[in-house]
Amino acid sequence: MELTLNEKRLLVVLGAMGSADAATLAEKMDTRREAVVQYANLAGERGLVDVEKRVSRRYIPTEEGRAYVGKGLPERQVLESFEESIPMRDLQAHPLAKIAIGWMRKKGWIAIRDGVVQKSGNTAPGPDEAAFARIAESGEIADGEGVADLAKRGLVEEEETVAYTVSITPRGRELLAEGLDLQEEAGTLTREQILSGEWKSLPLRRYDVTKLPKRAYPGKAHPYQRIIDEMRRVLFDMGFEEMAGGIVQSSFWNFDALFQPQDHPAREMQDTFFLGERWPLPRGYERVREMHEHGGETSSTGWGGTWSAAKAQQCVLRTHTTSLSIQHLAAHPTPPVKAFCIGRVYRREAIDPTHLAEFEQLEGIVMDEDVNFRHLLGFLKEFYAKMGFEKVRFRPGYFPYTEPSVEPEVYVDGLGWVELGGAGIFRQEVTAPFGIEHPVLAWGLGISRVAMLRLGLRDLRQLYRSDVEWVRETPTYGGRR
Amino acid sequence: MAIITLPYRYLERLAGTDRQTVIDRVPMIGADVERIEVDHVDVEFFPNRPDLYSPEGVARAMRGFLGIEEGLPAYTVRPSGITFSVDPGLADIRPYLGSAVIRNVNLDEESIQSLMSLQEALHWAVGRGRGKVAIGVHDLDTVTSPFRYIASPRSRAFVPLDFEREMTMEEILTDHPKGRDYAHLVENFHTFPLIVDAENRVLSFPPIINGELTRVTAATKNILLDCTGTDRKAVITAVNIICTALAEAGATIESVTVEGDEMPTLAPVERVVSVGECSRLLGLSLTPQEMARLLRRMRFGAEPDGASRVRVLVPCYRSDILHDWDIFEDVAIAHGIENFDAVLPATSTVAQEHPVTAIGRAVRSVMTGLGHLEVIPFTLTNDRVLYANMQREPSPGTLRVLHPISEEQTVVRTDLLPLLMEMLQANKHRELPQRLFTVGDVVVDCITSQKAAAVSIHPAADFSEAYAAADVLCRELSLLYTVRESADPAFIDGRRGDIIVDGRVVGVFGEIHPAVLTAFDLEHPVAAFALDLRAVPGYPVQPGTP
Repeated sequence: MELTLNEKRLLVVLGAMGSADAATLAEKMDTRREAVVQYANLAGERGLVDVEKRVSRRYIPTEEGRAYVGKGLPERQVLESFEESIPMRDLQAHPLAKIAIGWMRKKGWIAIRDGVVQKSGNTAPGPDEAAFARIAESGEIADGEGVADLAKRGLVEEEETVAYTVSITPRGRELLAEGLDLQEEAGTLTREQILSGEWKSLPLRRYDVTKLPKRAYPGKAHPYQRIIDEMRRVLFDMGFEEMAGGIVQSSFWNFDALFQPQDHPAREMQDTFFLGERWPLPRGYERVREMHEHGGETSSTGWGGTWSAAKAQQCVLRTHTTSLSIQHLAAHPTPPVKAFCIGRVYRREAIDPTHLAEFEQLEGIVMDEDVNFRHLLGFLKEFYAKMGFEKVRFRPGYFPYTEPSVEPEVYVDGLGWVELGGAGIFRQEVTAPFGIEHPVLAWGLGISRVAMLRLGLRDLRQLYRSDVEWVRETPTYGGRR
Repeated sequence: MAIITLPYRYLERLAGTDRQTVIDRVPMIGADVERIEVDHVDVEFFPNRPDLYSPEGVARAMRGFLGIEEGLPAYTVRPSGITFSVDPGLADIRPYLGSAVIRNVNLDEESIQSLMSLQEALHWAVGRGRGKVAIGVHDLDTVTSPFRYIASPRSRAFVPLDFEREMTMEEILTDHPKGRDYAHLVENFHTFPLIVDAENRVLSFPPIINGELTRVTAATKNILLDCTGTDRKAVITAVNIICTALAEAGATIESVTVEGDEMPTLAPVERVVSVGECSRLLGLSLTPQEMARLLRRMRFGAEPDGASRVRVLVPCYRSDILHDWDIFEDVAIAHGIENFDAVLPATSTVAQEHPVTAIGRAVRSVMTGLGHLEVIPFTLTNDRVLYANMQREPSPGTLRVLHPISEEQTVVRTDLLPLLMEMLQANKHRELPQRLFTVGDVVVDCITSQKAAAVSIHPAADFSEAYAAADVLCRELSLLYTVRESADPAFIDGRRGDIIVDGRVVGVFGEIHPAVLTAFDLEHPVAAFALDLRAVPGYPVQPGTP
């Protein structure tokens, strides 16, 4: 049994006294009462001492009560300020008259007739006065007759005190008889002790491992950022190059270059954040116009109608990162290209637990000779598997800039099949104007949705509100909290 | 999105199969089953397939997909002898008219409802909210040919649908619910589109409202269809989809002479497509015979054309077929998306991190090492947070969204520090000290770039802490900088410094001004800094432009 030095010292003191209250022990051991209780509890757990806890109630005067201590209750003070009778008007001059007159009448000490106060025969002190008088002696009183009345008047208040009596047990005495090593324990190991070799004989204070440490919080990346980095890692592992670009895009790159017809509902004010700014069209924009109007030199008919350059110049907050993909392809039209982007996108949506006006989208593109639809499904399966979604299935989908298109679904325990993103092969109407001659596989997904699933969130807004408590308590590695 | 109601009994009769087979298989032609009810199922179809916006259209597609009836559906069109003239005065208003006569319709409340739903779905998907195309159906037997589509004075009056009294067209725009909904489509014109019969009775005020006179009821046997619009192709599409849907339901279609042209023809469009191109795109090895067989399941007419081609007849209702690849997608759907083997290609590429995210990663590493917690605020904010609370003047390059969704999100952030202050405010009740940082996009004058910012709030937060943090981040980013006293009003005078690189201010640090603290409802000092990451060596030259 390894006792702390303090426990040993407690036993030594108790050896002489047998039993003592904590206050006395504290004085003897030259420490605080709380510390003694702590040592005693430790030794108590080992069966070396008995700790008796006694809770007692006492009453101490309130601020008002203190004003009367030694002088008597106000009614007594006022009663003694006059002889047998006094005119009411004169009595009211007494500073305590306001409180006292009521009590004197209540206690039957006085009668008031025709404006004159007359003492009655019975003005003997009651139990309340007797109890109050005892305060003068010790500054406090125990519960007893009359005390409750004083408390009700707000002259005294209850205070709970806990007294500890510590007694040495026979086992404690046995141990004491065997002899205790009272050498000082060291709290910290010092440089000098290490260098001098003193450490060899140095008793280091033992710590209680059952006590929890002070909670520390590390600096760390946001849980959402960790998931984003995990996805980036997956794509780097698969050989993808990272893209980044502007939040503000011209309608040309956000819509027209992706063969979204100019009257498409997504291009209306209620779905997209438009800005007042305009941006000049890039060189060669005419090929995009031709594609919209009649399908350029492909087998397409185009959308028909007249394509408006002015409409294409309007700036928007990008509604997808596909605008970056097509610009990347336009700048790198030779195969192979494998690129991805994780970036914020904007939709003019009313905000609720599952919809935000801004959120992150992940997008991947693969362009090479002879890549085909089966490869698209292959990339999707591989990517989702690496993200922890082992079961993936596909259904036909529709996106304005891909053909064929698919909607991947992943199986999530407890939720079943969940639609997660979209994919397809870029239409020739999208690639041809930029001289891209090989198929481009493309897929995208809203990754805040994935983060919600992974972090067990029910409200998307939590990702961006960053409750410090939540970020602190979400583990850096491994499963959800 | 178009959600179409499919009543089981009607659907089963048309599709020639049971409801469960349809519910199980319809997602594989491209649909989401929304709700399964006792007597019907609600299914959402994609916006490029308006031909599926009716039980008749769905049944037609499913009969092919399930192998019950394959190949091109045949629709015969006989001339009705009815004629229509189009007023040249409509050229700048609403120039195109499509029409047809549909005879022997057998309408009950359910099929009238179904026809109305198809009309509404087409208004949305093809008509773009009636602007591009608006559709009217009329009881043919209440009016007399020839019909005239004219540009009429706005004062012309008639009894609109659902009303009992005559109203002028101008009154309709202000007093009729449909008038109010669609007034924006015509109100700027001096004359309004109007359809009248031989006796000058009003059939319709397109694209707003029909006349009460030609209301379609369960007693209606013959329908006159009008589709007016600003896009000829879209008008024809709407006519074709409605006529073929009603033909599927058993009606007969007759053509109308519009300005000398017989319409509709409901004739397919021919495309000769390459089997090799299709095989390469899908990763299948198809023969012309196989490809033609798959296409017939999707209700195309399809026959091999030599050894390497297929001659395809595209049904008139398939307005989504713009390009050969649209046909190839149907080959994939007929093959069954679930039957494709997913494989990875041999493409070999080398991964590369974007320099901007590499710098962000470095910032994250330094700041977390310093004990800061990362937060990810929104990029849309407002003048109060961004400028007023910070005692700063609005940056002239601040972008304002034209139609904000709320007062909280009116501008794109130009700085990160105010958003961190807002974050401290939101976390006021959490344990101190709080040290937060963020790294991300800001936009000035349409150009996106990146900043980093950090804040520390606790009773002892001071200038020295801010300086030390800014200094170590700069050193770790290999950023050689000098410092001079700052004039940034967000900070306390005498306790603020500007970070200077190449003579340019690229950052600021110090103790946040008590008035700013108060504006963000904070009760302890805040040490803070912000840094423009464009100053970091290796930042890419090409900025994020539109």
